[in-house]
Parts: sequence; C-alpha cells; structure tokens
Amino acid sequence: MHLIPQSASHFHLLVSIFPSIGLIFVLGFYVTGFATDDAATKRSCLVLFVVLGLLAIPTYVSGDRSMAALSQDPKISQDLMSIHFGWGVTSLALLVLTGATALIELWRSRRAERLSNDALHLVLGLALVTLALMVITGEVGWEINHHELRLDPAAQRTPQAWSHVHIILNHFPTVGFVFALVFYIAALVMNNVVMKRASLVVFVVCAILGVPTYVTGAASMWALTGVAGISRAAINAHRDMALWTLFGLAFTGVTAWIELWRFRHLGRFSNRSLYLILAFAIITLGVMAETGHRGGQINHPEIHVATDPLPTDPKAGVSPAIESLINHVIWFVPWQTVHFFGFSLIFGTALAVSLRVLGFWKSMPFSAVHRILPLGVFGVVMNVFSGMLILLADSSRYLNATTFAPKTALITIGAIAVLYFSLSERLWTVKAGEDAPMSAKWVAALVLLSWAGVIIGGRLIPYV
Amino acid sequence: MEYGNTAIIFMVVAVVACVLGLTFVGVYCLNKVVDQNTREGGSVRQP
Repeated sequence: MHLIPQSASHFHLLVSIFPSIGLIFVLGFYVTGFATDDAATKRSCLVLFVVLGLLAIPTYVSGDRSMAALSQDPKISQDLMSIHFGWGVTSLALLVLTGATALIELWRSRRAERLSNDALHLVLGLALVTLALMVITGEVGWEINHHELRLDPAAQRTPQAWSHVHIILNHFPTVGFVFALVFYIAALVMNNVVMKRASLVVFVVCAILGVPTYVTGAASMWALTGVAGISRAAINAHRDMALWTLFGLAFTGVTAWIELWRFRHLGRFSNRSLYLILAFAIITLGVMAETGHRGGQINHPEIHVATDPLPTDPKAGVSPAIESLINHVIWFVPWQTVHFFGFSLIFGTALAVSLRVLGFWKSMPFSAVHRILPLGVFGVVMNVFSGMLILLADSSRYLNATTFAPKTALITIGAIAVLYFSLSERLWTVKAGEDAPMSAKWVAALVLLSWAGVIIGGRLIPYV
Repeated sequence: MEYGNTAIIFMVVAVVACVLGLTFVGVYCLNKVVDQNTREGGSVRQP
C-alpha cells in the first residue's frame, strides 16, 4: 500500500473527506446522545466536533497548496477551483467555530459537572449549517477532477447519475468506518452500552451502503470505458479490492447486526463477539483504505508517484475472471436460484414481522416475531453475494435497465429500516394483545413496500 | 464448454443445499443461545 501522501493534492484528497462526510456520522452519534439522553455519548461527540474543527486546518493548508500546484494544469477549470475555495473557506471557518464551541462547553462542563442544553443545541445548530455548506463545497470539489461528470451524457454507456452517486457514496463506508471504529473503541474502553449500540448500528449502515456503492461503481466503470487518460487496468485493480471490501463489510455488518439482535433478547453483549467485530472492522478498514487509494488513482493523475506504478494488464484480476466464469450456465443458474431463495426469506420475514407491527396476530408479543429476523438478514446476505455475481455476468445491461436504480435504492432503504425493529425501546415492550406505536407502523409499511418494490423492480429488469 | 442437464441440476441442488444449510445452522445457533438464556431465567430484556 502507498497510502502516505506524497503531495499536497494527495493529502487534500484524503483529509478533506473527513470534515464533510465525517460530520454526518458525528451528527448521527450526537442525535443518538440526545435521543437516549446519555451524557457520555454527548461528551464523546463534543470531543469529535473538536477533532473535526482541528482537521479544518490541514484541510485548508493542503487545499491551498493543491490549488497552487494545479493552477498551471490546462485540464483543470480555474473557475471551479475558485468557487470550491470560496465555499471551502466559509464552511471550514464554521467548522472551526463548531469545534471551538464544543471545546468551550467541554471545558465549562468540567467545572459545572453537567452539560448545558443551550450550548449542546448551539453546537448542533452550527454543525447542521456547516454540513449544508460542506455539501456545496464537496460537490464543487468533486466536479474539478472527475471526467465522467463532464462527458456528454448521450455518449455514455450508463446513465451519468450512477457515476455521480458513486463519487459521493463511496466515501460513506470508508469515513463511516473510521468514525464508528473510534466511537466503538471509546465505547469498549468506557463500557458504555449506548455508544456500543450506536457504533454497531453505524457498522451495519456502512455495510448496507456498500451495496449501492459497489453497484454504482460498476456503472462508473462503463462511464469511463474508452475515455482518454483512464486506464481499464487501474479500474479493474480498484474493483478487485472493492470486491474484498464488500466481503469485509458483509462480515462486519452481519456480526454487528447479530450482536444488536442478541442484545435485545439477552440484555447484554458478548465480549467475545464485540472483539470479533472489532477485528473484522479493523481488517475491513484496511482493505477499504487500499480500495479508496486504487479508486483515487483512476481519476487523479496528480497523485501518481514513480514508486507506486499503475497496473497495466486490463485482463488481470479476480473480477474479469468471475465475469467470464459466471456467464457459463452451470455457474449462473445455481446462484440465480439462490437469489430467489434469498428473496423468499427476506419477504417472508418482512411480511411476518411487519404484519404483527401493523396489528395482525396480536396474541404474540413483538419479542416473539423479533426472533425470526435473522432468517431475513441471512436472506439479505445470500442476495448480496448472488446479486453481485449476477451483476458481474452482464453489468452493462442491468445498469441500463429502467428498474435497476429504484431496486438498488429500495434495497438500501428496506435494509436500513429493518434496523428499527431491533432498536426501538417502545416496540420491544409491546406485549401480547397490545398495539404497536404508530411510528413503528409507518416503519413496518416502509419495510414491506421497499422489499415488495425490490422484487417487482428485479423481475421487470428483462422487460422494461 | 457445453454442460448437460444432469450437471446443471446437480450444481443447482448442491449450491442451494450448501447455502440453505449454512442459513439453517446460523438460525439454529442464534435461537439456541436465546432459548438457553430463557431456560436459565436470564432473559432480562424479555418484556
């Protein structure tokens, strides 16, 4: 791995995603702190806001030097760089202000021995405004160097929206894992249940986001195929690592979800499982870092160094080999059959749990139907694996199908929504004969509609 | 390379049996943990 940045541009690419994407995850933990009224979670988030505020300094310095280095490059739009710089300085200034407010509150609360709600809300407000500005800064920044966003959409082999979404989405599992790991290790050291559960949820969410990231990545590959200056061998090297990342995310996400499910029933965590998840998360983060590095090499010639040569053989790697193998009927049909079994398990489980929440079978407490959830989760794992193989068989055709994009979006929504069933305290206490809360009914309807949409979208792929 | 119907049917049954078998083992182990905990009276989270 050649992860140590050799230039200001390379360092800026790495560090700049933390204040923007990282802020989303810290805000998620912070809102959890408010929802559970857990002081340790709130304090930990204030520390993370301070860290993000400090990261504004290297982000600004590396960005400024990067601008100077790229100012002579005719392929880079100077106007876009100036707009990115303007928004960037404003959002980083607000981030520093958010971090400073968090630091003052941490310092003040040590004397007062309690956190002030007004100060906590002020930090929340500042962070939300910073995030809004970061979205604009990030979008303009991504447009500076990504060829696929400037290509003629009519001439592209996959819809441009796929590539655009991949550029944004691929940072979420990576940065999310960094923040979840930091939070998780702090939770293990402090032995804080709320923080442990919050970190496990982020591991699961990052694993789910791995699915649309992989799918949109395949679309970006087609968008960049044949573009001058883009190496197909570099793309294949990136997607080989993306494949291993998908496995790592699946292992970490599933073990984290199982621990959340077990906690509901046992009321305690298994230390052995918690440390197993930690090991999986660290390994997955390492693989993801290399995946990100290889992805950066595709579109950023400014980060190339002589000691890190780009691959040259466009046919080398695991992904092209799987593409060739899965096109044989003897491999395709078995995994397609597994895919249908997976959907049966997912929809059967979602239907049973959702109908109980919606008011059917009231003789059962919610905890009884909660026990069948692992069947659905194993169905999701089956389908992510078999779906990835099926996609590799003919990715260009699938990605151009009208219903494939909504299907991918609904998989993400449906899988994240299921987490609610294992997290809601109110729903867990629904006894036999009792009605579930209205919020749970909305989630149940969303789960049911999402997975029904996934199946309908999948079946329509060959026809519309 | 051409494959006969018998080979394809064998592969479908073999792959599906392996995947569903693993799923069964996973669900069985998870439920066993909860059942054991309930028998030992440790189900503090049961409503």
